[in-house]
Amino acid sequence: MIKINNLDFAYNNTQVFKNISLEFQKGNIYGLLGENGVGKTTLLKIICGLQKPQNGSVSVDGFTPSKRLPEFLQNVFLLPEEVITEDTTPERFIQKIGVFYPRYDFALFNQLMGELEVDLSKKFNELSHGQKKKAWLACALSLQTDYLFLDEPTNGLDIPSKALFRQVISQHCSDESTIIISTHQVKDVENLIDPIVILDRDDVLLNASFAEITEKIYFEYGPERLQNAYYTEMLPGGYINVMPNTEHEESNVNIEALFNAVMKNKETIKNLMK
Amino acid sequence: MNNTFNINRFGKILKHDGLNFFPNIILALAIIWAIPVIVFLFTSLMPSDETTQLYDPFSRIDIISTLSTIVLIIAPARLYKTCNDPRKGIVYAMLPASTLEKFLSMVFYCVIVTPIIYIVGALAIDTILALLNGPYEGFAVSYYFDTFAKINAVFERDNITIDESWILYYKSLSPTFMIVLSALGTLTISSIFMFGNMIFKRHKTGKMIGILIIMFIIFMIVLINYAVHTEVLTHNIEDKAEFVKYTIFLIMNAIFYAEIIVSALMLFGVYRKIKTQKY
Repeated sequence: MIKINNLDFAYNNTQVFKNISLEFQKGNIYGLLGENGVGKTTLLKIICGLQKPQNGSVSVDGFTPSKRLPEFLQNVFLLPEEVITEDTTPERFIQKIGVFYPRYDFALFNQLMGELEVDLSKKFNELSHGQKKKAWLACALSLQTDYLFLDEPTNGLDIPSKALFRQVISQHCSDESTIIISTHQVKDVENLIDPIVILDRDDVLLNASFAEITEKIYFEYGPERLQNAYYTEMLPGGYINVMPNTEHEESNVNIEALFNAVMKNKETIKNLMK
Repeated sequence: MNNTFNINRFGKILKHDGLNFFPNIILALAIIWAIPVIVFLFTSLMPSDETTQLYDPFSRIDIISTLSTIVLIIAPARLYKTCNDPRKGIVYAMLPASTLEKFLSMVFYCVIVTPIIYIVGALAIDTILALLNGPYEGFAVSYYFDTFAKINAVFERDNITIDESWILYYKSLSPTFMIVLSALGTLTISSIFMFGNMIFKRHKTGKMIGILIIMFIIFMIVLINYAVHTEVLTHNIEDKAEFVKYTIFLIMNAIFYAEIIVSALMLFGVYRKIKTQKY
Protein backbone atom coordinates (compact mmCIF):
# COMPACT_ATOMS: atom_id res chain seq x y z
CA MET A 1 0.00 0.00 0.00
CA ILE A 2 1.13 3.54 -0.73
CA LYS A 3 0.57 6.03 2.08
CA ILE A 4 1.15 9.74 1.64
CA ASN A 5 0.80 11.90 4.73
CA ASN A 6 0.86 15.70 4.87
CA LEU A 7 3.07 15.95 1.83
CA ASP A 8 4.66 19.29 0.96
CA PHE A 9 6.62 19.67 -2.21
CA ALA A 10 7.91 22.65 -4.18
CA TYR A 11 10.21 23.21 -7.13
CA ASN A 12 12.33 26.16 -5.98
CA ASN A 13 9.62 28.76 -5.22
CA THR A 14 6.77 27.00 -6.96
CA GLN A 15 4.60 25.11 -4.52
CA VAL A 16 3.24 21.91 -6.03
CA PHE A 17 1.77 20.06 -3.05
CA LYS A 18 0.78 21.52 0.27
CA ASN A 19 -0.19 19.18 3.07
CA ILE A 20 -1.81 16.52 0.93
CA SER A 21 -2.65 13.04 2.21
CA LEU A 22 -3.56 10.11 0.03
CA GLU A 23 -3.65 6.32 -0.02
CA PHE A 24 -3.37 3.82 -2.86
CA GLN A 25 -4.58 0.29 -2.04
CA LYS A 26 -3.04 -2.82 -3.59
CA GLY A 27 -4.63 -4.67 -6.46
CA ASN A 28 -6.16 -1.67 -8.24
CA ILE A 29 -5.58 0.25 -11.43
CA TYR A 30 -5.75 3.87 -10.36
CA GLY A 31 -6.47 6.73 -12.70
CA LEU A 32 -4.58 9.81 -11.63
CA LEU A 33 -6.27 12.84 -13.13
CA GLY A 34 -5.75 16.56 -12.87
CA GLU A 35 -5.28 19.72 -14.88
CA ASN A 36 -1.94 20.53 -16.48
CA GLY A 37 0.71 21.40 -13.94
CA VAL A 38 -1.06 20.13 -10.81
CA GLY A 39 1.75 17.70 -10.13
CA LYS A 40 0.64 14.30 -11.44
CA THR A 41 4.10 13.47 -12.80
CA THR A 42 5.74 14.93 -9.70
CA LEU A 43 3.56 12.74 -7.48
CA LEU A 44 4.61 9.64 -9.42
CA LYS A 45 8.26 10.69 -9.14
CA ILE A 46 7.92 11.20 -5.39
CA ILE A 47 6.34 7.75 -4.99
CA CYS A 48 9.20 6.25 -7.03
CA GLY A 49 11.86 8.05 -5.00
CA LEU A 50 13.03 10.27 -7.84
CA GLN A 51 12.04 13.37 -5.89
CA LYS A 52 12.13 13.94 -2.17
CA PRO A 53 9.28 15.67 -0.33
CA GLN A 54 10.17 18.77 1.67
CA ASN A 55 7.76 17.80 4.42
CA GLY A 56 5.48 14.91 5.24
CA SER A 57 5.99 11.25 4.58
CA VAL A 58 5.59 8.81 1.73
CA SER A 59 5.61 5.09 2.40
CA VAL A 60 5.38 2.24 -0.11
CA ASP A 61 4.89 -1.09 1.66
CA GLY A 62 6.80 0.40 4.59
CA PHE A 63 9.70 1.70 2.48
CA THR A 64 10.65 5.35 2.19
CA PRO A 65 11.01 5.79 -1.59
CA SER A 66 13.59 8.59 -1.46
CA LYS A 67 16.07 6.19 0.18
CA ARG A 68 16.03 4.18 -3.05
CA LEU A 69 16.77 0.89 -1.35
CA PRO A 70 17.20 -2.04 -3.76
CA GLU A 71 14.46 -4.01 -1.99
CA PHE A 72 12.06 -1.16 -2.74
CA LEU A 73 13.31 -0.45 -6.27
CA GLN A 74 12.89 -4.07 -7.38
CA ASN A 75 9.16 -3.73 -6.80
CA VAL A 76 8.50 -0.47 -8.64
CA PHE A 77 8.80 0.68 -12.23
CA LEU A 78 8.01 4.05 -13.76
CA LEU A 79 7.24 4.44 -17.43
CA PRO A 80 7.73 8.17 -18.08
CA GLU A 81 5.66 10.22 -20.49
CA GLU A 82 8.59 10.92 -22.76
CA VAL A 83 9.96 7.53 -23.64
CA ILE A 84 13.68 7.18 -23.35
CA THR A 85 15.50 6.37 -26.55
CA GLU A 86 18.13 3.71 -25.97
CA ASP A 87 20.60 2.77 -28.67
CA THR A 88 19.72 -0.89 -28.27
CA THR A 89 16.90 -3.29 -29.05
CA PRO A 90 14.12 -3.65 -26.46
CA GLU A 91 15.15 -7.30 -26.13
CA ARG A 92 18.74 -6.48 -25.18
CA PHE A 93 17.58 -3.69 -22.92
CA ILE A 94 15.19 -5.89 -20.96
CA GLN A 95 17.82 -8.64 -20.66
CA LYS A 96 20.20 -6.04 -19.24
CA ILE A 97 17.85 -4.67 -16.57
CA GLY A 98 15.56 -7.67 -16.07
CA VAL A 99 18.10 -9.57 -13.97
CA PHE A 100 17.59 -7.04 -11.17
CA TYR A 101 13.88 -7.81 -10.85
CA PRO A 102 12.97 -11.07 -9.07
CA ARG A 103 9.78 -11.79 -11.07
CA TYR A 104 11.08 -10.68 -14.48
CA ASP A 105 9.86 -13.04 -17.21
CA PHE A 106 11.55 -12.95 -20.61
CA ALA A 107 8.90 -15.22 -22.15
CA LEU A 108 6.24 -12.76 -21.03
CA PHE A 109 8.23 -9.94 -22.62
CA ASN A 110 8.28 -11.78 -25.95
CA GLN A 111 4.57 -12.53 -25.62
CA LEU A 112 3.79 -8.87 -24.90
CA MET A 113 5.92 -7.65 -27.79
CA GLY A 114 3.91 -9.98 -30.00
CA GLU A 115 0.57 -8.87 -28.57
CA LEU A 116 1.53 -5.21 -28.95
CA GLU A 117 2.84 -5.86 -32.46
CA VAL A 118 6.29 -4.37 -31.93
CA ASP A 119 9.16 -5.28 -34.25
CA LEU A 120 11.66 -7.22 -32.10
CA SER A 121 14.60 -6.67 -34.43
CA LYS A 122 14.60 -2.87 -34.32
CA LYS A 123 16.44 -0.66 -31.86
CA PHE A 124 14.47 1.77 -29.71
CA ASN A 125 15.75 4.72 -31.73
CA GLU A 126 14.59 3.08 -34.96
CA LEU A 127 11.01 2.64 -33.71
CA SER A 128 8.21 5.18 -34.15
CA HIS A 129 7.01 7.05 -31.06
CA GLY A 130 4.00 4.77 -30.62
CA GLN A 131 6.09 1.63 -31.16
CA LYS A 132 8.62 2.88 -28.62
CA LYS A 133 5.85 3.40 -26.07
CA LYS A 134 4.56 -0.10 -26.66
CA ALA A 135 8.04 -1.59 -26.41
CA TRP A 136 8.58 0.19 -23.09
CA LEU A 137 5.20 -1.03 -21.90
CA ALA A 138 6.20 -4.61 -22.75
CA CYS A 139 9.44 -4.10 -20.81
CA ALA A 140 7.58 -2.61 -17.84
CA LEU A 141 4.95 -5.35 -17.64
CA SER A 142 7.46 -8.19 -18.08
CA LEU A 143 9.28 -7.04 -14.93
CA GLN A 144 6.11 -7.91 -12.97
CA THR A 145 6.75 -5.38 -10.24
CA ASP A 146 4.20 -4.84 -7.48
CA TYR A 147 3.85 -1.19 -8.46
CA LEU A 148 3.77 0.12 -11.99
CA PHE A 149 3.46 3.82 -12.70
CA LEU A 150 2.45 4.90 -16.18
CA ASP A 151 2.70 8.59 -17.04
CA GLU A 152 0.47 9.50 -20.00
CA PRO A 153 0.87 6.01 -21.48
CA THR A 154 -1.56 6.49 -24.37
CA ASN A 155 -0.06 9.74 -25.69
CA GLY A 156 1.12 9.10 -29.22
CA LEU A 157 -0.65 5.75 -29.59
CA ASP A 158 -2.95 5.23 -32.55
CA ILE A 159 -6.51 3.95 -32.02
CA PRO A 160 -5.75 0.21 -32.43
CA SER A 161 -2.75 0.58 -30.15
CA LYS A 162 -4.90 2.19 -27.46
CA ALA A 163 -7.19 -0.83 -27.55
CA LEU A 164 -4.14 -3.12 -27.35
CA PHE A 165 -2.87 -1.07 -24.43
CA ARG A 166 -6.11 -1.54 -22.49
CA GLN A 167 -6.10 -5.22 -23.35
CA VAL A 168 -2.57 -5.98 -22.13
CA ILE A 169 -2.94 -3.89 -18.99
CA SER A 170 -6.15 -5.63 -17.94
CA GLN A 171 -4.76 -9.07 -18.85
CA HIS A 172 -1.46 -8.73 -17.06
CA CYS A 173 -2.56 -6.92 -13.91
CA SER A 174 -2.74 -9.23 -10.91
CA ASP A 175 -4.45 -8.89 -7.52
CA GLU A 176 -1.06 -8.21 -5.98
CA SER A 177 -0.05 -5.43 -8.33
CA THR A 178 -0.98 -1.78 -8.28
CA ILE A 179 -0.95 0.30 -11.43
CA ILE A 180 -1.26 4.07 -11.34
CA ILE A 181 -2.02 5.67 -14.69
CA SER A 182 -1.57 9.40 -14.90
CA THR A 183 -3.45 10.71 -17.90
CA HIS A 184 -5.35 13.47 -19.64
CA GLN A 185 -6.86 11.03 -22.10
CA VAL A 186 -9.58 9.69 -19.82
CA LYS A 187 -11.50 8.11 -22.68
CA ASP A 188 -8.48 5.90 -23.45
CA VAL A 189 -8.60 4.36 -20.00
CA GLU A 190 -12.29 4.69 -19.22
CA ASN A 191 -13.01 0.99 -18.75
CA LEU A 192 -9.62 0.26 -17.26
CA ILE A 193 -9.19 2.50 -14.25
CA ASP A 194 -10.93 2.15 -10.93
CA PRO A 195 -10.54 3.99 -8.48
CA ILE A 196 -10.00 7.56 -9.61
CA VAL A 197 -7.80 10.17 -7.96
CA ILE A 198 -8.30 13.79 -8.97
CA LEU A 199 -5.51 16.15 -7.99
CA ASP A 200 -5.78 19.88 -7.70
CA ARG A 201 -3.16 22.46 -6.85
CA ASP A 202 -2.42 21.89 -3.17
CA ASP A 203 -5.24 19.38 -2.75
CA VAL A 204 -6.68 15.94 -3.49
CA LEU A 205 -10.22 16.53 -4.67
CA LEU A 206 -11.27 12.92 -5.08
CA ASN A 207 -9.95 9.46 -4.28
CA ALA A 208 -12.76 7.00 -4.72
CA SER A 209 -13.77 3.82 -6.51
CA PHE A 210 -16.53 3.80 -9.13
CA ALA A 211 -18.84 2.14 -6.60
CA GLU A 212 -18.22 4.90 -4.07
CA ILE A 213 -18.67 7.57 -6.72
CA THR A 214 -21.97 6.22 -8.05
CA GLU A 215 -23.26 5.81 -4.53
CA LYS A 216 -23.07 9.56 -4.04
CA ILE A 217 -23.11 10.97 -7.57
CA TYR A 218 -25.64 10.26 -10.28
CA PHE A 219 -24.89 10.52 -13.98
CA GLU A 220 -28.10 11.33 -15.76
CA TYR A 221 -28.32 11.14 -19.53
CA GLY A 222 -31.43 13.02 -20.68
CA PRO A 223 -32.96 15.50 -23.08
CA GLU A 224 -32.62 18.54 -20.84
CA ARG A 225 -30.20 20.50 -18.69
CA LEU A 226 -31.05 20.03 -14.99
CA GLN A 227 -30.86 22.96 -12.60
CA ASN A 228 -29.51 21.07 -9.57
CA ALA A 229 -26.67 19.41 -11.53
CA TYR A 230 -23.07 19.95 -10.49
CA TYR A 231 -22.16 19.93 -14.13
CA THR A 232 -24.01 19.64 -17.40
CA GLU A 233 -22.60 18.93 -20.80
CA MET A 234 -24.30 18.71 -24.13
CA LEU A 235 -23.84 15.37 -25.88
CA PRO A 236 -25.18 14.24 -29.25
CA GLY A 237 -28.86 13.60 -28.58
CA GLY A 238 -29.11 15.28 -25.21
CA TYR A 239 -27.29 16.18 -22.04
CA ILE A 240 -25.28 14.50 -19.37
CA ASN A 241 -26.02 15.86 -15.92
CA VAL A 242 -23.73 15.11 -13.00
CA MET A 243 -25.78 15.47 -9.86
CA PRO A 244 -26.12 14.30 -6.25
CA ASN A 245 -27.45 10.76 -6.02
CA THR A 246 -30.28 11.50 -3.61
CA GLU A 247 -32.41 8.57 -4.79
CA HIS A 248 -29.55 6.02 -4.58
CA GLU A 249 -29.95 5.11 -8.22
CA GLU A 250 -27.35 3.25 -10.23
CA SER A 251 -25.56 4.93 -13.12
CA ASN A 252 -22.47 4.66 -15.26
CA VAL A 253 -19.56 6.96 -14.50
CA ASN A 254 -18.58 9.33 -17.25
CA ILE A 255 -15.05 10.21 -16.20
CA GLU A 256 -14.76 13.35 -18.29
CA ALA A 257 -18.04 14.73 -16.94
CA LEU A 258 -17.05 13.69 -13.42
CA PHE A 259 -13.72 15.46 -13.76
CA ASN A 260 -15.36 18.66 -14.96
CA ALA A 261 -17.98 18.44 -12.21
CA VAL A 262 -15.26 18.05 -9.59
CA MET A 263 -13.26 20.96 -10.99
CA LYS A 264 -16.33 23.23 -10.90
CA ASN A 265 -17.52 22.16 -7.44
CA LYS A 266 -14.30 21.41 -5.64
CA GLU A 267 -15.35 21.84 -2.03
CA THR A 268 -18.90 20.52 -2.51
CA ILE A 269 -17.84 17.24 -4.09
CA LYS A 270 -14.88 16.85 -1.77
CA ASN A 271 -17.17 17.15 1.23
CA LEU A 272 -19.77 14.91 -0.41
CA MET A 273 -17.23 12.12 -0.92
CA LYS A 274 -15.84 12.26 2.62
CA MET B 1 17.93 -8.48 2.19
CA ASN B 2 21.07 -6.42 2.61
CA ASN B 3 20.24 -3.06 1.12
CA THR B 4 23.77 -1.65 1.41
CA PHE B 5 25.89 -4.22 -0.37
CA ASN B 6 25.17 -7.59 -1.87
CA ILE B 7 27.78 -9.38 -3.93
CA ASN B 8 25.25 -10.87 -6.39
CA ARG B 9 23.66 -7.48 -6.99
CA PHE B 10 27.10 -5.91 -7.36
CA GLY B 11 27.91 -8.53 -9.98
CA LYS B 12 24.71 -7.59 -11.81
CA ILE B 13 25.47 -3.87 -11.80
CA LEU B 14 29.04 -4.60 -12.96
CA LYS B 15 27.61 -6.66 -15.81
CA HIS B 16 25.02 -3.96 -16.61
CA ASP B 17 27.65 -1.21 -16.73
CA GLY B 18 30.02 -3.55 -18.56
CA LEU B 19 27.47 -4.10 -21.32
CA ASN B 20 27.27 -0.32 -21.75
CA PHE B 21 31.05 0.09 -21.56
CA PHE B 22 32.29 -0.64 -25.08
CA PRO B 23 29.40 0.94 -27.01
CA ASN B 24 29.88 4.17 -25.06
CA ILE B 25 33.66 4.53 -25.11
CA ILE B 26 35.11 2.49 -27.95
CA LEU B 27 34.95 5.31 -30.50
CA ALA B 28 36.75 7.74 -28.18
CA LEU B 29 39.40 5.12 -27.37
CA ALA B 30 39.86 4.31 -31.05
CA ILE B 31 40.47 7.97 -31.87
CA ILE B 32 43.03 8.30 -29.06
CA TRP B 33 44.72 5.03 -30.01
CA ALA B 34 44.96 6.29 -33.58
CA ILE B 35 47.08 9.33 -32.65
CA PRO B 36 50.46 7.47 -32.40
CA VAL B 37 49.57 5.55 -35.57
CA ILE B 38 48.97 8.81 -37.41
CA VAL B 39 52.28 10.22 -36.13
CA PHE B 40 53.99 7.01 -37.26
CA LEU B 41 52.44 7.07 -40.71
CA PHE B 42 53.06 10.80 -41.14
CA THR B 43 56.73 10.47 -40.18
CA SER B 44 57.21 7.31 -42.28
CA LEU B 45 55.72 8.90 -45.37
CA MET B 46 57.95 12.00 -45.18
CA PRO B 47 61.12 11.85 -47.32
CA SER B 48 63.85 10.56 -45.01
CA ASP B 49 67.28 12.15 -44.49
CA GLU B 50 69.61 12.59 -41.51
CA THR B 51 67.26 15.10 -39.92
CA THR B 52 64.28 12.75 -39.89
CA GLN B 53 63.05 12.61 -36.36
CA LEU B 54 63.19 9.30 -34.55
CA TYR B 55 60.92 8.79 -31.57
CA ASP B 56 62.56 7.08 -28.61
CA PRO B 57 60.39 4.97 -26.29
CA PHE B 58 60.48 7.60 -23.53
CA SER B 59 58.95 10.29 -25.72
CA ARG B 60 56.26 7.79 -26.68
CA ILE B 61 55.67 6.90 -23.03
CA ASP B 62 55.16 10.61 -22.36
CA ILE B 63 52.61 10.73 -25.18
CA ILE B 64 50.84 7.59 -23.93
CA SER B 65 50.77 9.01 -20.38
CA THR B 66 49.35 12.33 -21.60
CA LEU B 67 46.74 10.55 -23.69
CA SER B 68 45.86 8.27 -20.77
CA THR B 69 45.12 11.42 -18.74
CA ILE B 70 42.79 12.53 -21.52
CA VAL B 71 41.12 9.12 -21.40
CA LEU B 72 40.63 9.50 -17.64
CA ILE B 73 39.13 12.94 -18.18
CA ILE B 74 36.61 11.89 -20.81
CA ALA B 75 35.70 8.46 -19.41
CA PRO B 76 33.02 9.46 -16.84
CA ALA B 77 31.10 11.62 -19.30
CA ARG B 78 31.32 8.91 -21.97
CA LEU B 79 30.33 6.03 -19.71
CA TYR B 80 27.79 7.67 -17.41
CA LYS B 81 26.68 10.72 -19.36
CA THR B 82 22.96 10.16 -18.78
CA CYS B 83 23.01 9.12 -15.14
CA ASN B 84 21.91 12.58 -13.90
CA ASP B 85 19.78 13.45 -16.91
CA PRO B 86 16.25 14.35 -15.78
CA ARG B 87 14.75 12.00 -18.40
CA LYS B 88 17.34 9.44 -19.41
CA GLY B 89 18.76 9.08 -15.92
CA ILE B 90 15.53 7.62 -14.54
CA VAL B 91 16.40 4.10 -15.68
CA TYR B 92 19.78 4.28 -13.93
CA ALA B 93 18.33 5.80 -10.75
CA MET B 94 15.63 3.14 -10.54
CA LEU B 95 17.90 0.17 -11.15
CA PRO B 96 17.49 -2.02 -8.07
CA ALA B 97 21.06 -1.74 -6.81
CA SER B 98 22.29 0.18 -3.79
CA THR B 99 24.07 3.52 -4.00
CA LEU B 100 27.28 1.85 -2.85
CA GLU B 101 27.08 -0.81 -5.57
CA LYS B 102 26.41 1.78 -8.29
CA PHE B 103 29.22 3.95 -6.95
CA LEU B 104 31.76 1.11 -6.81
CA SER B 105 30.85 0.00 -10.31
CA MET B 106 31.29 3.57 -11.58
CA VAL B 107 34.69 3.83 -9.88
CA PHE B 108 35.71 0.43 -11.23
CA TYR B 109 35.00 1.34 -14.84
CA CYS B 110 36.23 4.96 -14.74
CA VAL B 111 39.33 4.54 -12.59
CA ILE B 112 40.48 1.00 -13.30
CA VAL B 113 39.02 -0.57 -16.43
CA THR B 114 39.20 2.40 -18.81
CA PRO B 115 42.85 3.38 -18.20
CA ILE B 116 43.98 -0.26 -18.20
CA ILE B 117 42.24 -0.96 -21.51
CA TYR B 118 43.67 2.23 -22.99
CA ILE B 119 47.24 1.59 -21.79
CA VAL B 120 47.24 -2.08 -22.81
CA GLY B 121 45.92 -1.11 -26.23
CA ALA B 122 48.32 1.80 -26.61
CA LEU B 123 51.34 -0.32 -25.64
CA ALA B 124 50.25 -3.11 -27.98
CA ILE B 125 49.92 -0.62 -30.85
CA ASP B 126 53.30 0.90 -29.95
CA THR B 127 54.91 -2.56 -29.95
CA ILE B 128 53.47 -3.39 -33.37
CA LEU B 129 54.63 -0.05 -34.77
CA ALA B 130 58.10 -0.47 -33.22
CA LEU B 131 58.42 -3.85 -34.94
CA LEU B 132 57.95 -2.17 -38.29
CA ASN B 133 60.86 -0.43 -39.90
CA GLY B 134 59.88 3.11 -39.06
CA PRO B 135 60.59 6.09 -36.84
CA TYR B 136 59.73 4.30 -33.57
CA GLU B 137 62.91 3.09 -31.86
CA GLY B 138 62.78 0.55 -29.03
CA PHE B 139 59.69 -0.62 -27.20
CA ALA B 140 57.73 1.67 -24.87
CA VAL B 141 56.40 -1.39 -23.06
CA SER B 142 59.95 -2.23 -21.86
CA TYR B 143 60.14 0.96 -19.80
CA TYR B 144 56.52 1.88 -19.11
CA PHE B 145 56.36 0.30 -15.68
CA ASP B 146 59.97 1.04 -14.69
CA THR B 147 59.69 4.56 -13.30
CA PHE B 148 63.36 4.94 -12.32
CA ALA B 149 64.70 3.76 -15.64
CA LYS B 150 62.29 6.20 -17.27
CA ILE B 151 63.43 9.14 -15.09
CA ASN B 152 67.12 8.34 -15.55
CA ALA B 153 66.71 7.99 -19.28
CA VAL B 154 64.85 11.27 -19.56
CA PHE B 155 67.56 13.04 -17.53
CA GLU B 156 70.27 11.52 -19.68
CA ARG B 157 68.44 12.28 -22.88
CA ASP B 158 67.79 15.91 -21.93
CA ASN B 159 71.21 16.29 -20.33
CA ILE B 160 69.78 17.42 -17.02
CA THR B 161 72.62 18.18 -14.62
CA ILE B 162 71.19 20.96 -12.48
CA ASP B 163 71.60 18.97 -9.37
CA GLU B 164 72.13 15.30 -8.81
CA SER B 165 70.72 15.38 -5.32
CA TRP B 166 67.12 15.42 -6.40
CA ILE B 167 67.71 12.47 -8.69
CA LEU B 168 69.06 10.78 -5.62
CA TYR B 169 66.01 11.92 -3.74
CA TYR B 170 63.77 10.33 -6.37
CA LYS B 171 65.82 7.17 -6.13
CA SER B 172 65.42 7.14 -2.38
CA LEU B 173 61.66 6.79 -2.81
CA SER B 174 60.39 3.26 -2.75
CA PRO B 175 58.83 1.75 -5.88
CA THR B 176 55.70 1.14 -3.83
CA PHE B 177 55.45 4.85 -3.03
CA MET B 178 55.84 5.72 -6.70
CA ILE B 179 53.10 3.25 -7.65
CA VAL B 180 50.84 4.65 -4.91
CA LEU B 181 51.57 8.20 -6.10
CA SER B 182 50.79 7.26 -9.68
CA ALA B 183 47.59 5.43 -8.71
CA LEU B 184 46.58 8.34 -6.54
CA GLY B 185 47.09 10.73 -9.45
CA THR B 186 44.88 8.53 -11.62
CA LEU B 187 42.23 8.40 -8.89
CA THR B 188 42.35 12.17 -8.37
CA ILE B 189 41.89 13.08 -12.04
CA SER B 190 39.19 10.49 -12.49
CA SER B 191 37.31 11.42 -9.32
CA ILE B 192 37.32 15.13 -10.23
CA PHE B 193 35.76 14.38 -13.60
CA MET B 194 33.38 11.79 -12.14
CA PHE B 195 32.15 14.52 -9.82
CA GLY B 196 31.86 16.96 -12.74
CA ASN B 197 29.86 14.32 -14.58
CA MET B 198 27.42 14.14 -11.67
CA ILE B 199 26.95 17.87 -11.08
CA PHE B 200 26.68 19.13 -14.65
CA LYS B 201 23.93 18.14 -17.04
CA ARG B 202 25.62 19.30 -20.27
CA HIS B 203 29.18 20.01 -21.46
CA LYS B 204 30.29 18.15 -18.37
CA THR B 205 34.00 17.75 -19.18
CA GLY B 206 34.39 21.25 -20.61
CA LYS B 207 32.80 22.89 -17.58
CA MET B 208 34.98 20.89 -15.19
CA ILE B 209 38.14 21.81 -17.14
CA GLY B 210 37.02 25.46 -17.00
CA ILE B 211 36.58 25.28 -13.24
CA LEU B 212 40.02 23.67 -12.82
CA ILE B 213 41.65 26.38 -14.95
CA ILE B 214 40.00 29.12 -12.87
CA MET B 215 41.06 27.40 -9.65
CA PHE B 216 44.60 27.00 -10.96
CA ILE B 217 44.80 30.71 -11.89
CA ILE B 218 43.52 31.73 -8.43
CA PHE B 219 45.97 29.33 -6.79
CA MET B 220 48.90 30.72 -8.80
CA ILE B 221 47.94 34.33 -7.99
CA VAL B 222 47.81 33.49 -4.28
CA LEU B 223 51.10 31.58 -4.47
CA ILE B 224 52.95 34.33 -6.35
CA ASN B 225 51.59 36.97 -3.97
CA TYR B 226 52.76 34.86 -1.06
CA ALA B 227 56.21 34.37 -2.59
CA VAL B 228 56.62 38.08 -3.34
CA HIS B 229 55.48 39.20 0.08
CA THR B 230 57.60 36.71 1.97
CA GLU B 231 60.56 37.48 -0.36
CA VAL B 232 61.24 33.76 -0.63
CA LEU B 233 62.42 34.16 -4.21
CA THR B 234 64.87 36.94 -3.48
CA HIS B 235 66.59 35.29 -0.54
CA ASN B 236 70.20 34.41 -1.01
CA ILE B 237 70.12 30.68 -0.71
CA GLU B 238 73.51 29.37 0.22
CA ASP B 239 72.98 25.72 -0.47
CA LYS B 240 70.97 25.66 -3.69
CA ALA B 241 71.13 21.88 -4.01
CA GLU B 242 69.65 21.49 -0.56
CA PHE B 243 67.01 24.10 -1.38
CA VAL B 244 65.96 22.27 -4.57
CA LYS B 245 65.84 18.96 -2.72
CA TYR B 246 63.79 20.47 0.09
CA THR B 247 61.40 22.16 -2.34
CA ILE B 248 60.82 18.95 -4.25
CA PHE B 249 60.25 17.13 -0.99
CA LEU B 250 57.64 19.72 -0.02
CA ILE B 251 55.95 19.61 -3.42
CA MET B 252 55.85 15.81 -3.48
CA ASN B 253 54.31 15.71 -0.03
CA ALA B 254 51.88 18.52 -0.80
CA ILE B 255 50.76 16.72 -3.97
CA PHE B 256 50.45 13.43 -2.10
CA TYR B 257 48.21 14.83 0.64
CA ALA B 258 46.29 17.12 -1.71
CA GLU B 259 45.51 14.15 -3.94
CA ILE B 260 44.23 12.12 -0.99
CA ILE B 261 42.02 14.99 0.21
CA VAL B 262 40.73 15.93 -3.26
CA SER B 263 40.02 12.28 -4.20
CA ALA B 264 38.18 11.64 -0.94
CA LEU B 265 36.07 14.79 -1.29
CA MET B 266 35.25 14.17 -4.94
CA LEU B 267 34.38 10.51 -4.41
CA PHE B 268 32.18 11.40 -1.46
CA GLY B 269 30.49 14.01 -3.67
CA VAL B 270 29.89 11.40 -6.39
CA TYR B 271 28.40 8.98 -3.84
CA ARG B 272 26.12 11.69 -2.43
CA LYS B 273 24.97 12.73 -5.89
CA ILE B 274 24.12 9.13 -6.86
CA LYS B 275 22.16 8.82 -3.61
CA THR B 276 20.31 12.12 -3.71
CA GLN B 277 20.10 13.10 -7.39
CA LYS B 278 16.58 14.38 -8.22
CA TYR B 279 14.96 13.61 -11.55
